[in-house]
Amino acid sequence: MSNRSVVPGPLGGEMGRDLGGPRVVEPVKRVRARDAVLGVLEGFRAGQRRRGRRLIGRHGGQGIAVRLFAVFGVVLASLAPGLTLSPAGAAESDPVRFTVAYLNEVDSFNPFLGIEAESFEMWALMYDSLTGYTMADMAPEPSLATGWETSEDGLTWTYTLRDDVTWSDGEQFTSEDVSYTYGRILDGGPERTTWGSYLKGVTDVATPDDTTVVLTFDKVSSSMPLLPIPIIPEHVWSSISEDEVKSFGNEPTDGQPVVGSGAFRLVEGTAGGSTYRFEVNPDYWEGVPHIDEIVFRVYKSEDPAIQALIKGEVDFVEGISALQVKALQGRDGIEATNGDSPGFDEISFNAGSIDTKTGEPIGDPNPAVLDPAFRYALNFALDRDQIIDVAYQGAGQTGSTIIPPAYAGYRWEPPAEDAPTFDLEKAAQLLDEAGYTVGDDGFRTLPNGDPIGALRLYARTDSQTSLDVMEFFQEWLAQLDIDSEVRAFESNNLTKIILDGNFDAFEWGWYVEPDPTSMLSYMTCDQLGGWSDSWYCNEDYDALFDQQQSEVDLAAREAQVQQMQEMLYYDAPYLVTAYSSVGEAWRSDRFACLQQQPDPGGVYLIQYGVHNYVNMRPVAEADECAGDSGLTQAASESGDDGGITTGFLVGGGVVLLVLLGAGGVVAMRRRGTVGNRE
Amino acid sequence: MTIGAVTEAPVSVDQPRTRRRSYGRYALGKSVGALGSLGFVLVVNFFLFRILPGDPGRNLGRGRMDSAEDLAAFNEAYGLDQALPQQFLTFVRGTLSGDLGTSLRYRVPVSDLLVDRMWPTLLLVGTATLLATLIGVWIGVIGAWNRGGRFDRFSTGGSLTLYSMPEWWLGLLLIATLAVGIGPIPGLFPTGGLSSPGVDATSLMGTFDVAWHLALPVTTLTLAYVADYSLIMRSSLLDEIGEDYLTTARAKGLRDVQVRNRHAVRNALLPTTTLVALNIGFVVTGAITVETVFSIPGLGLLSTEALEVPDYPVLQGAFLVASAAVIVANLAANLVYGVLDPRVRA
Amino acid sequence: MSAEVQPGELTPRITARQLSRRRRRAAWRDGWTQFRRHRSGMVGLVVLAFFVLLAVAAPLIAHADGLEVTRATGGVLEPPSAGYWLGTDDKGRSVLTLLIWGTRVSLLVGLLATVISMVIGTLVGLLSGYFGGRAGAVLFRLTEWFLVIPFLPLAIVLATVLGPSLLTIAFVIGVTSWPGTALLIRSQTLSIKERAYLERARALGGGRWHQIRRHILPNVMPMVFANTTLTVTIAILAETTLSFLGLGDPTRISWGSMLDDAYTVGAITTGSWWFIVPPGVCVVLVVLSFNLVGQALEDVLDPRLRGRR
Repeated sequence: MSNRSVVPGPLGGEMGRDLGGPRVVEPVKRVRARDAVLGVLEGFRAGQRRRGRRLIGRHGGQGIAVRLFAVFGVVLASLAPGLTLSPAGAAESDPVRFTVAYLNEVDSFNPFLGIEAESFEMWALMYDSLTGYTMADMAPEPSLATGWETSEDGLTWTYTLRDDVTWSDGEQFTSEDVSYTYGRILDGGPERTTWGSYLKGVTDVATPDDTTVVLTFDKVSSSMPLLPIPIIPEHVWSSISEDEVKSFGNEPTDGQPVVGSGAFRLVEGTAGGSTYRFEVNPDYWEGVPHIDEIVFRVYKSEDPAIQALIKGEVDFVEGISALQVKALQGRDGIEATNGDSPGFDEISFNAGSIDTKTGEPIGDPNPAVLDPAFRYALNFALDRDQIIDVAYQGAGQTGSTIIPPAYAGYRWEPPAEDAPTFDLEKAAQLLDEAGYTVGDDGFRTLPNGDPIGALRLYARTDSQTSLDVMEFFQEWLAQLDIDSEVRAFESNNLTKIILDGNFDAFEWGWYVEPDPTSMLSYMTCDQLGGWSDSWYCNEDYDALFDQQQSEVDLAAREAQVQQMQEMLYYDAPYLVTAYSSVGEAWRSDRFACLQQQPDPGGVYLIQYGVHNYVNMRPVAEADECAGDSGLTQAASESGDDGGITTGFLVGGGVVLLVLLGAGGVVAMRRRGTVGNRE
Repeated sequence: MTIGAVTEAPVSVDQPRTRRRSYGRYALGKSVGALGSLGFVLVVNFFLFRILPGDPGRNLGRGRMDSAEDLAAFNEAYGLDQALPQQFLTFVRGTLSGDLGTSLRYRVPVSDLLVDRMWPTLLLVGTATLLATLIGVWIGVIGAWNRGGRFDRFSTGGSLTLYSMPEWWLGLLLIATLAVGIGPIPGLFPTGGLSSPGVDATSLMGTFDVAWHLALPVTTLTLAYVADYSLIMRSSLLDEIGEDYLTTARAKGLRDVQVRNRHAVRNALLPTTTLVALNIGFVVTGAITVETVFSIPGLGLLSTEALEVPDYPVLQGAFLVASAAVIVANLAANLVYGVLDPRVRA
Repeated sequence: MSAEVQPGELTPRITARQLSRRRRRAAWRDGWTQFRRHRSGMVGLVVLAFFVLLAVAAPLIAHADGLEVTRATGGVLEPPSAGYWLGTDDKGRSVLTLLIWGTRVSLLVGLLATVISMVIGTLVGLLSGYFGGRAGAVLFRLTEWFLVIPFLPLAIVLATVLGPSLLTIAFVIGVTSWPGTALLIRSQTLSIKERAYLERARALGGGRWHQIRRHILPNVMPMVFANTTLTVTIAILAETTLSFLGLGDPTRISWGSMLDDAYTVGAITTGSWWFIVPPGVCVVLVVLSFNLVGQALEDVLDPRLRGRR
């Protein structure tokens, strides 16, 4: 009985199929010229794993399998000695190379375009600026400028420059380069975006001679004398027009390093690339660094970077978690620490979202969070110690105000009786006093008697910490009889929600620069609809902000900044939860003389300035470190540079295997003799 | 209504019988279709990423651009302040003339970025595809020819298991065992990246170095693809086994292996070929997860990072490349299939 | 098909409905007997049943408190011990509890995505195959175009736009994976469309919807059914991948999010194999079982293979 079924064939059309009946030779039926490709997919999906009961072919194939495996085995065996070769030590003539693992790419080597912290580090290596930062507390110190003085009214600043600095192409560094750089910034465009804030109020840049620069202001700027702007060579950059600068990569071309005056020169690297290589500048004015090369490698996640550190492929890993620091501590030859990084994380409330044009309220904040008394009470509903323990894995410090401990001068400490402790009773008492009493249903109500409802706590999907903190917060709110729900959003989405005012609270963080003006500005009324994410607006605060921005006397300025923090603390648009830390680890058996910034307690790399790159030494010279405390000491000696040698052998073996395998396959295909051809 | 109702009288032949079209007309038709798809993709490409939430200037400038003027300057410099239709026209004009715009995050031309990042992906996926095709076809053929035997059961089981595994998990396991080392097994391979620092990638040593770095990622992808290819090769060969012409070949006295290789496999290879061509098209995205796990700076990773900004020019460029690759691969597969299988042109 | 009985016969008259019900039951029994013969299919079924049971009974087996970060009691990344059979994660929660509860999300999202994908795919495939001409061609082009777009970037874009929630992920996966089904159903529809009996139905005056509903759809359903199990595998793998890339709902635990946590927390460095291996093994087991069951189902239901015993 002929059992013909019509089925979707691999051609998208149809094919007649004989399924086991008497052999009837039949031309294939009509086939539509369908898309062959899609047809294959149809057939694939339909029959990809069919197991029909078919004729069993004669055994003939297994012999070949055995033979192939034998060939592979022989090849493998012959490579075994190669794989176990003990690696040779580094030769005398090898350059001293310091390899750093980054977890993020440099976004631009053009100092006017980049934004990422890693990019800033690159520019600091390539270029110098008029002032540098001290290691102890990031105060300004001389760099290209040997000294400076200001006029009585603070509107004129005169900098004296060094005269022994040359660009890497041999040209002499003069004040012309400074005025050119500052001129480009003041002219506007992308240059102004990154660095304009340091030249706020500058009306004129004069260069009376090759080693003097005079800046004239029209109003006092409190950020002076800090001028960390990288100085670019005028003779190189004058050919880059305003239009071109916004896509100019400033990368090495034709094997020529980028022209700069810094301690190192960029010889290899592109924005968004994964390897950046620097060579030492043998004529560096501060003294030749003790390493010959720096290589930065970008890893996409922490584990591979740490593994590379352990195996010796890199010497320093930046930005790992506290857990991994813990796992690395105790390993021979590796030092791992959590360094304070001047930034904080906070729970931010909606302190009054309004339409910036009309002043009318927008969004739907819960009336409770609009009340400073409510927010301040919740300050005592946070167990910051537990947050550090669990959400930050033990690394970091408990938070109080928006100026981190690293900036001791500007920082304000709340008085002992108002210190941010975990005290639910106090929180409850404060809430009661503010009118948020517990209603009949067991939950607190607004002062007017309406139920509060559920507070919306928003976390960010890309931060596990933010999620954990909000979940803890939810728990503690529940203990205060306040209902809440936690939701996670992607950061971009959350930004939009914040700008629309449709939130009650979210968790985020800021990084605070040594000059506090920008951080303080985010809480001013001017920034509503801009960078303000708490919608906080207080005229007294704004008055103090303007005052401190043009205050020349440091002590007076510090007092003003402290007053501002006090205002923010009691109005509580932010509840600062923690000052985060950055985990770092390095091969202490290879390099020494690294210093923390701020000292002590800070980070070792991605600092302000390139002090460590200039001063670090191979561990053999560790006793020559400039004898300060806080410098890393040499650990036990252990060298392992041979990973690369083994690698080549393995790599060669792999390539060989593949070639042999391919050859074997090809050879077998050709085995048929002439006689067997039809 | 039972399934048996399907097996009924033979299908009626199309009336009227179509004339045989020449290969040229077939090829032309396919090419035009491909161009149309490309155009469609271009349009959707642009608008697809505009629905992503987020203001690139704001995201990039957090903590750096302090004033509204700075943000405005950024937007103006990169054309983000123009109206959407205007931006679209700029985009189309630029693409057609080869200028894919400037990356918002890196501020370099997108085409430079793409070229830089493309070759690691091509190397990774290309090598894996090649190896997987060779190995997968071989496994599928042997398995199907000796259906039910030990090799068949073992290989099909293995393929199914590999097929059910997320390939990046396999990558994680490989890293944990072969790159980090477990117990007595030493960590022979690097844990990530494309090359060792200080090694010139174009030298002989550099080639070995890259091969060493790519060994694990390529293995991961190869194993994932092999599962796919061996299963389909096996099933399409099983389809062929029952055919008459093979009986004829055997009756003529050919050895089993030759019957298999010269006749059955050749015909059974057609669906596999097409599938391989398709997978080559998916080169870009095929490796996103593996690139993430092994820190390979490739195109897939570039795209996922660009999504966070969102870096529109990079996304448009990468997506265009990816879609174009698929369309071109599609077209190539159709054309090749048209050559190999005369039935298709009918 | 009504049972026509000649008057005067002793055989009792049964109604058409009774007859078709009898036939259907016989077909089911027959199918089940055939399915049972597949050892691999049965194994897959048993494993699946185990996981479904695990998902349903999760609250009974492992207390929900075990998922709360705020109530974690274990140490950080502890190896398996008597108290924690699979050790703890980086927040001190029991990995076993996470695994059990993760079953729910992985299975739920997988099934939901599959339903969406099958509904869209079947609809589009059916309509595109049945209606020739303009409408059919348009639908076909749509299917083709969706196939061309790389899945993962599209899924990431949609997931980013729609926000992280289980529903979103299921929707995203469903919306990006229907073309395969659509193609299959389409070709099946095309082949059925040419059946002679369909011409008869048309001649008898059966309208379009009648044809689709009574004739084409029931013939297509077995393929749909068999294809569903295979689509679930794609959906579960996709969910795991999207969660691993951080696009899942971060407030819910799934196997993919466990692996994401393990990876970002450095499970490889700390050697915490109990965090990396079990979720992956679970995914493999579930997906493999679906594959085996799907294969067996295809053998049972595929019209090509029928009658080839």
